[in-house]
Amino acid sequence: MLIDSHAMLGKENHHSLEERELIRRMDLHKVDKAIVRPMGSELIVENKLGNNRVLANGSRLLALVSVNPWFGDSALDELKRCYDSGAVGLFLHPARQGFFPVEPIAIPVLELAFSFRWPVMFHTGTYIYSDLLAVGEVARAYPDQLIIAGFGGYADMWFELPDLFDEVENLYLDTSLLFSHNVISVISKIGSSRILFGSGEPRNNYAVHFEALKRHSLSKETISAIMGDNAKRIFNIK
Amino acid sequence: MIIDFHTHLDESWIGNKLMPEQTFLDLMNRYEVEVACIFTLEGFYGNCSMHNDNLAERARRNPQRLVPFATVNPKLGDQAVNELERCLANPLFRGVKFHTWLQAIAPSMVKETMIKLLKCAAKHNVPVIFHDGTPPYATTFQIAALARWVPAAKIILGHSGLSDYIVAAGQLAGELDNLYLCLTGPKSGEIKFLADTAGVDKMVFGSDLGFSDWRMLPECIDYVLQSGLHPQSISKIFYSNAVDLLDLKRRPL
Ligand SMILES: [Zn+2]
Repeated sequence: MLIDSHAMLGKENHHSLEERELIRRMDLHKVDKAIVRPMGSELIVENKLGNNRVLANGSRLLALVSVNPWFGDSALDELKRCYDSGAVGLFLHPARQGFFPVEPIAIPVLELAFSFRWPVMFHTGTYIYSDLLAVGEVARAYPDQLIIAGFGGYADMWFELPDLFDEVENLYLDTSLLFSHNVISVISKIGSSRILFGSGEPRNNYAVHFEALKRHSLSKETISAIMGDNAKRIFNIK
Repeated sequence: MIIDFHTHLDESWIGNKLMPEQTFLDLMNRYEVEVACIFTLEGFYGNCSMHNDNLAERARRNPQRLVPFATVNPKLGDQAVNELERCLANPLFRGVKFHTWLQAIAPSMVKETMIKLLKCAAKHNVPVIFHDGTPPYATTFQIAALARWVPAAKIILGHSGLSDYIVAAGQLAGELDNLYLCLTGPKSGEIKFLADTAGVDKMVFGSDLGFSDWRMLPECIDYVLQSGLHPQSISKIFYSNAVDLLDLKRRPL
């Protein structure tokens, strides 16, 4: 099963992607399922709209929902609603939602997501508020939970990747924006069990990723772990 | 056919051996890169003259393929200006490269020298490319400011905003006549935006080849090919815009 662990639906600045268009692209590239999260205003303030958008899509698109932690109790209520509606994880964007990953404001939201046994993906790579290493600290604070470094710290935190992933064993890597050799540098250090193929659609692109994959001689086992098995396991996909 | 406007051809970087010259040339052949603008890496940390001479030596061996860009240390004031004059007096050099993040100086901290350096480049009619997209010494805004300081200089954002500054890069290159975009970093879904905002004539291709793994070259090519731009726009980005910026019709290699 080929699973894309990070695509985006909705509209944000020049980026825009509707459910039907994503499905068309998935069909073209033989992608079975995609984990999708909201973007733009539906990620930052209008969480209910964004969550409904990613929840409404049946079995091929699975919802990585989001709430802005500053909404307090109503954010928690919204997460419970999403859990009941079949979401598979939580996405947080500290830079856009306006909090620092280790600030107390995020704790109730994180702990509720963990109580659902959800993986939590953070946007990483934007300096200061979405510092890859700050997200590493969240993972260290909750060693029994699954934390995903969305975008793998792209652009320029690639030099932190191998050692960080070596040290923090509950941290997973989303490949969606990275140059392929930066992903390989992590695989060489820790193996493939915590690597998740993400397309980054509509910002990045299935065709670029699949061409890049062909230029590496990865084993069959590594490819199936990255391209589906790991996602299936951590998002509990049947 | 491609002109790669952003590559590094150097011996080593912080103790790691880099791609040998022959491998670099083989990759150019394999991916139909006719010409590469080559920059130093180690020279960002010091001893610019020696690294400039090394680049010139590589270009002398392959004058039709390798186009060296000089790097100087703006912290050295007039000494830097003299070194740039020395390099640009050599017809092999066709541009200037700064990496203010690695060179550890914000342009505004050495504004007087930067203005002299940009005027020198403008006098020789060569473009000046900067790393951009990284705070606190190389944000896209900090680099765009240079285009305002010296309107006669051709300033290139070496990464078109890289990741978080993409919107700013498109807007600034659209607004400032002398600010250009090199596509080393933006993904397919961003390249169309940059073309719509800045104009496709403002864009050149770059891959950072030589700095790291060879696959950066085909991956950067694919970002452009998958951008959804018209083939005519793509060939401008890959080739003819760079011919214009390097003034190759008047000054062939
Ligand atoms: Zn570079």
